[in-house]
Amino acid sequence: MIDVRWCGDDEEDRRLVPLYVLVNGRTHPRNTSLDLATQVIALPADTTALDPEYRAIINRCETWMSIAEISAKLDLPLAIIKVLVDVLLERGYLALGAPAQKTVADRWLLETILASLQKL
Amino acid sequence: MSQKSVKVVVAGGFGTGKTTLVGSVSEIPPLTTEEVLTQASVGVDDVTGIEDKTSTTVALDFGRITINADTVMYLFGTPGQDRFWYMWDELSVGAVGAIVLIDTRRLSTSFAAIDYFERRGMPFVTAVNLFYGECPYDEDEIREALKLDSAVPLLWCDARDRSSSKRALIGLVQHALARLS
Repeated sequence: MIDVRWCGDDEEDRRLVPLYVLVNGRTHPRNTSLDLATQVIALPADTTALDPEYRAIINRCETWMSIAEISAKLDLPLAIIKVLVDVLLERGYLALGAPAQKTVADRWLLETILASLQKL
Repeated sequence: MSQKSVKVVVAGGFGTGKTTLVGSVSEIPPLTTEEVLTQASVGVDDVTGIEDKTSTTVALDFGRITINADTVMYLFGTPGQDRFWYMWDELSVGAVGAIVLIDTRRLSTSFAAIDYFERRGMPFVTAVNLFYGECPYDEDEIREALKLDSAVPLLWCDARDRSSSKRALIGLVQHALARLS
């Protein structure tokens, strides 16, 4: 089935504003370091003027939350969440965790992970 | 901000127990997210008979383990269909490594995953899932059948069992550490 949320077919979905309008037709985040595991957190700000989709994301990010978790909890595709999160980062509603690394070759980090797993 | 995420990829053929393993070690019930494939998959996915279909969704199961106050580990199960390679690329960038699950009744379903991580030069361990009881083969036989490089660890696990899945994860991190030296 065609993903009605993606193409904005409101006959079936009852979504009045297609998601691509919400993001001004943007198809990719400008910040290309955004990874599905990148974490974000809400910054204190007045969100009343924002569209509900944006507010829903901010409400989910009272604690650090990954792009993948936001996508799963709001039941929206990863690609659209990345763009929405990118817009919120640009406007200062969200703060960004450490950017995704190209390779994990950090001995100290691996040893920390190992010690923590062994305690689980 | 120094909030860090680390990724682990859980791969293997269809039905090898990826989602089961993710679920048994995750501190939250596994979540599912989806990615939408559009024009890019035309010519790759067989759309005969469903030409009107303009998009395909790829489901992705994942779980999380809190490592410490500023580090979270995410475990991503690869999409069931091996052809969604572009998704594998995104999962693998910056990942600690991968666990490739093996079902000895259908070894060939895990070839693609082994091949992928070998070519990428990414640390990975193979884990024979003993989901269905005793394994009739020994380690040498399985290694030979998989044409596995001797440097790649082969572990035994029961993906349903938390401590067993945890051991596979520990095996992967130890392997990743060993490759650094």
